[in-house]
Amino acid sequence: MSVMTLNEIAEYVLASLKKAGAEKASCVTARGRKEEFNIEANKFTLLRTLFDDALSIKALYGGRKGVASINKLDKDSIDKAVEDCITLAKAGTPDEAEDIAEFIENKNFNRSIGGSQMDKLFTRTKDFLEQIKDEYPLIMLEGVTSAFSSGRGVYANSNGVVFSDESECYGMGSMFVAKDGEKSSSFNGYGESMLSLDKAFLDMGMHRALIEESVRSLDTRMVDKKFVGKVIVTPACEDMIWDTLLDCFMSDRSLIEGTSRWKDALGTKVADSKLTMRSVPHHPSVVAGERYTGDGYESFDADLIKNGVLEAFALSLYGANKTGNKRTKNTAFSNIEVVAGDVALADMIKGVDKGILLNRFSGASPSPSGDVSGVAKNSFLIENGKVTDALSETMVSFNIVDIIADIVAISKEQATNGSSILPWCCFDGITISGK
Amino acid sequence: MLQDLLSVHKAEFKDHTELRAQVNTTKRVTLLLGNMVSNSQSEGGGVSARVYKGGTFGFASGAEYSPESVKNVIAAATDNAGFMNTHVNLGEKPLPQAKAGKAELKTKVENNVSQSMLIDFANTLDGIITKKYKNLTARTVIADFLGMEKLLVVSDGADSHWYQPRSTVYVFMTAETSDGVPVELYEPFSSHGHFNEIFTDPNLLTNKLDELYEHLMKKREGVYSKAGLCKCVMHPDLAGILAHEAVGHTVEADLVLGGSVAGHNLGKQVASDLITMLDVAHTFNGKTCPLPIYVDDEGVTAEDAVLIENGILKGFMHSRETARRFDVAPQGNARAFAFNDEPLIRMRNTVIMPGKSKLDDMIASIDDGYFLVKTGNGQADSTGEFMFSVELGYEIKNGKLGQAIRETTISGVAFEMLKTVDMVSDDMVWSISGFCGKKQPITTSMGGPAVRCDINIGGR
Repeated sequence: MSVMTLNEIAEYVLASLKKAGAEKASCVTARGRKEEFNIEANKFTLLRTLFDDALSIKALYGGRKGVASINKLDKDSIDKAVEDCITLAKAGTPDEAEDIAEFIENKNFNRSIGGSQMDKLFTRTKDFLEQIKDEYPLIMLEGVTSAFSSGRGVYANSNGVVFSDESECYGMGSMFVAKDGEKSSSFNGYGESMLSLDKAFLDMGMHRALIEESVRSLDTRMVDKKFVGKVIVTPACEDMIWDTLLDCFMSDRSLIEGTSRWKDALGTKVADSKLTMRSVPHHPSVVAGERYTGDGYESFDADLIKNGVLEAFALSLYGANKTGNKRTKNTAFSNIEVVAGDVALADMIKGVDKGILLNRFSGASPSPSGDVSGVAKNSFLIENGKVTDALSETMVSFNIVDIIADIVAISKEQATNGSSILPWCCFDGITISGK
Repeated sequence: MLQDLLSVHKAEFKDHTELRAQVNTTKRVTLLLGNMVSNSQSEGGGVSARVYKGGTFGFASGAEYSPESVKNVIAAATDNAGFMNTHVNLGEKPLPQAKAGKAELKTKVENNVSQSMLIDFANTLDGIITKKYKNLTARTVIADFLGMEKLLVVSDGADSHWYQPRSTVYVFMTAETSDGVPVELYEPFSSHGHFNEIFTDPNLLTNKLDELYEHLMKKREGVYSKAGLCKCVMHPDLAGILAHEAVGHTVEADLVLGGSVAGHNLGKQVASDLITMLDVAHTFNGKTCPLPIYVDDEGVTAEDAVLIENGILKGFMHSRETARRFDVAPQGNARAFAFNDEPLIRMRNTVIMPGKSKLDDMIASIDDGYFLVKTGNGQADSTGEFMFSVELGYEIKNGKLGQAIRETTISGVAFEMLKTVDMVSDDMVWSISGFCGKKQPITTSMGGPAVRCDINIGGR
């Protein structure tokens, strides 16, 4: 049998599942290729090429769900996956909330950029390595990857929904420390996705600023004693805040369990009026944003919190059916934009008598109470409106529900890394402690 | 079971080459308040080749495992190695040779772990929890199986066929404080072996679940810990993550080359002389470890790595490449998670050796401090500064346990904090439930005794 196209595979899977007795079924299949350069400890170490296939199928049989995933696309493997999926579903428990997307409009998306330029990617990576050696001789690149990824994916279900998406993009990620004799800074990192290789890696987003701050972090101090103060969270660290809100108060799990502190708060004020938080896969700064959800709906940008009011939960179709709320217009856990405020970053810093500029947070997984504690990494003390010493062994503790209720300021400036678009945010009432 | 399509190519290898076929199989059932929110299985496998030439590697992988695809990945990896050698040209010496040999399967590859077993177990356990523990506002039961099979052929060193089945049940319990704030605790039950061998009867977990529920009821009344440096006793459940996060990552040789503070501490006192720490290959005190590694993914026969001996930093964990740079022998720490991952330096069974003290005496010896019982996640740093979460702990007042504390985080600088250890208990606990993240996830095992030390605790 000749090699099937992804659309043919999807059709074949859905027909097989229906023949096996599934009343509803869906299928996601993809073929992709990735080429990646690796650097470790300031030296090139590896070039790797990955050819990947994927097939994930879902069947509803008597209201019971089964999901089987494989990474082979030959007929025998597909037939076995179909059989396994039906077996799983038969063994499951019926749940009326399980469903698949209804037919609305099928679409094909194509975000190809004309293929890879591997020689240019190598040159960009080599230039970055040499630039670091020249401009920041105290920086050790613990690990760098630069990659080109391409692939095509198809979603189809038994309601007639079919989406396809062809995409290509570059990506780079770096982990680095400053090292001077026996002194080391904390590690830090930066990553960005991009559609072209026009810009030097070092000049992307906050990359250079974070590297410079690592050099400044070779000499650190602890805070003198425990105090309650302000913390300016930079875009490099801010996912910690928004991911916690999404996980603990807006997700399927938290709402089905009923542990979300916002379970009854839809349409009410949960945050300071300055806060507008959106999930924006179509934002021009987002590279390779989602075009359709895993449930089979086209993805659109969505307001989650608008002027402090909770506009939407981050619910899948199942979560929506289970809780009686609306599903989110996209998968919502990536491509977060926090709308810029009206205060310049420099003025925001001037407004802090005693606090921290928080660049990285190493802390516990978020708990449903909203209590958060952890270590301030790659961070600096702010004293009398000025950023002063780099910090070590400094812990921060706060309740996230409390701090977002009264946000001191949100900056005019935003930073993007091809995935999110975030400003600097100043929060108050945070316990900051040294030894 | 994987067929050997690899050995036929061994005679063709010109440069150092690793050829690996691998299949990872997972099965998972999740019950959220009794709702089956996941009922899934996955199988991901294929073949990869890595070729070393003059100081850099070329790697390639494909999902298809056939005679033709094996040839293709060897050719692609060789091309990539050639590209790197031409463009980078480090001119490094060859990798150190490893002892030749062949490690046969020590655990039988079985595919008879049915989804029904996981579903029945999870449903029965969920029923027990619902009936027995009345003050819960939410509960989650997860039954999980991971099987990893690898077939490795190398140009020099040991070929191997390895299989690791890991079975885990996670139970999450949630209750509310008097003012309606949710508090949560979880317990992982995990072991090397197939699900049906490890989890024969859900009722056998109830003693541990009784304890979990009792702790949760106390945590509902919990108080915030007082932020700052404190004297504490870490339960043996925390010692493993102490070994893994505080020291283990710091002494991985790739991170040492990348700037870790451990680099200039080799041969120096970095801990109290009560501390001896190993990364065990496969056998500890005559018993097979939770994660036995006999040959790593570079074809190196695995041996125990002594990291700290009586407080002195003795060595690092290596790949062949870092072993060459440090001029030592590799000990089998290079492992890959999936077929399309290249081997990285990873911990295996990282353990702090037990001491002579009794846990009760250690608690009784503290006037004002904390007994830290359960942890969640953790993270290491190049500076040696580590943190890990504390999901459950108690105040110690005048040698006795007091109120439970709410979730918090502890941190310290490993080589300073370990010098404050002045009591080590005579028992130990192993843990194998989690994954370690470092470019790729990987299964690791960790263990140790209770320790008394000074540590920085977050709080109010």
